[in-house]
Amino acid sequence: MGIQADVFDVFYYCSLLISAAAGCAYYKKTDLPYKWLTTLMILTLVSELIAKYIAFGIEISNSVVYHIFTPIEYTIYVIIFINFIQNNKLNILLWTSALLLLLFEIGNTIFFQPLQETNTNTMIAESTLLVILSLRLFLKIRATPSQQNILKRGDFWFASAVLCYYAFNILIWGFHSMKVYLLDNPPQIIYNVNMLLSGFLYITFITAIILNGMPKHQTP
Amino acid sequence: MVYLNTIQSSDIIVFFFAGLMTIILLFGFILYFLFTYRHKQRDFNLLQLQKDEIDTQKHLLENTLNDLKLTQTQLIHSEKMASLGELTAGIAHEIQNPLNFVNNFSDVNIELLNEMITALDNQNYSEIKIMLNDVLMNETKINDHGKRADGIIKSMLQHSRKSSGIKEPININTLADEYMRLAYHGFRAKDKSFNAKTETDFDDSVGPVNVVPQDIGRVILNLITNAFYAVSEKKKSTSESYEPIVSINTRKKIAPGGKPTVILSVRDNGNGIPKEAIDKIFQPFFTTKPSGQGTGLGLSLSYDIVKAHGGDLKVSTKEGEYAEFIITLPIQNG
Repeated sequence: MGIQADVFDVFYYCSLLISAAAGCAYYKKTDLPYKWLTTLMILTLVSELIAKYIAFGIEISNSVVYHIFTPIEYTIYVIIFINFIQNNKLNILLWTSALLLLLFEIGNTIFFQPLQETNTNTMIAESTLLVILSLRLFLKIRATPSQQNILKRGDFWFASAVLCYYAFNILIWGFHSMKVYLLDNPPQIIYNVNMLLSGFLYITFITAIILNGMPKHQTP
Repeated sequence: MVYLNTIQSSDIIVFFFAGLMTIILLFGFILYFLFTYRHKQRDFNLLQLQKDEIDTQKHLLENTLNDLKLTQTQLIHSEKMASLGELTAGIAHEIQNPLNFVNNFSDVNIELLNEMITALDNQNYSEIKIMLNDVLMNETKINDHGKRADGIIKSMLQHSRKSSGIKEPININTLADEYMRLAYHGFRAKDKSFNAKTETDFDDSVGPVNVVPQDIGRVILNLITNAFYAVSEKKKSTSESYEPIVSINTRKKIAPGGKPTVILSVRDNGNGIPKEAIDKIFQPFFTTKPSGQGTGLGLSLSYDIVKAHGGDLKVSTKEGEYAEFIITLPIQNG
């Protein structure tokens, strides 16, 4: 089991590292939302490294990192969706949702999941919001068709990745909250699935970034 | 809370079943999305194709419009040059008169000066004084006729020049009279057998009218030339007793709004305008003249010019008897 966990860990960190590095390489060639996506991956990498250092260097609970990072991550997602959807009426709603998630995180930390515990409640709330936003982005893509093949559109891959990953996140963190988080020896497979999906999420993100960074051939 | 400390295999099964359902749902959703998107994309591509086609047609039409505008400008220029051609003979005739005077009086002056030399030799000063007075009178006449010729040349140049578009107060009676004579001689130069009685009746109370002289001159010339053409055609087809008459008259009239206007009418006793042609005569390129004899732009341009002056151009006719074109122009139209 331990070896398997290591493999999933390596897969996750490698995909995150490669995606962040590739995002940096394509930074100048891509549009604004993809630049923010690269920023998000870099911040995720930094937060994961800090979490690792706290867990193995200081040897205390690294949950504090996720308490801070989750609202930041959602705010960056909000910026990305604002840039993709480009709907002024929706912008206010998106910024409000970011603020509400921050308040939810503070309330959750005070009343339900203190800094020593993983903030799965906030993660579930964030995932739910992101699933809704990804569906909204699908609507936007469908409403604004182009001559370009859909499979070559970065926004399609981004929306698909967010929808799939965060839909599973609701399932994983829901199961975690309900069944396993108080167990002395929780089944590792749940976290491995999460690691695997996270790895695929970043690989899909970098696919979207590369597709956007490629030269665009307009039909005359 | 007891159940939380144990996890049963059924829980794992539920978890995986839920995971499987999620995969199926997501896969189904994305497939549905791709399917509907493809339909939308097909519609979009069709619209894009139609838009491209419309754009192409638009560009084509724009090019055609530009070509038409260019052709129109060229035709207007041709029409102007044609009317200048019609004027040429008349102008030549008009210049010939003052030139004859200049030549004759200068000949007389040469003779007088020779006689003066003889008189000087004889010291006949009283005769010299009389002859000097004659020379002076002749020189004044030479000068007058020189100025007249100069005026005609200037008028011709003004007619051929591009319209300045600037309105200036002019005596419309003088302008009409001048163009009547030029047109008559011009017509006679083309057809030596042509003869017509010209009548003028000008209202002196009209005073100066604020118009673009080149443009209004062109309108008057066009109407008079048409009138001469109409009477000449009738003359060819009727008996000897027919007397062609072209008349031009002006009169001042106060419009219903209280504004003073000038009414200038050109009337001929030709064949008139047929009923079927009356609605079309102001249309561009409409002509009743044989091919090659008219561009069909004269009346259309005249109508546009009069309208641009805030006036009106109407026609009154009786088939076989007469045609009368009536121009109404505001006198103070700034």
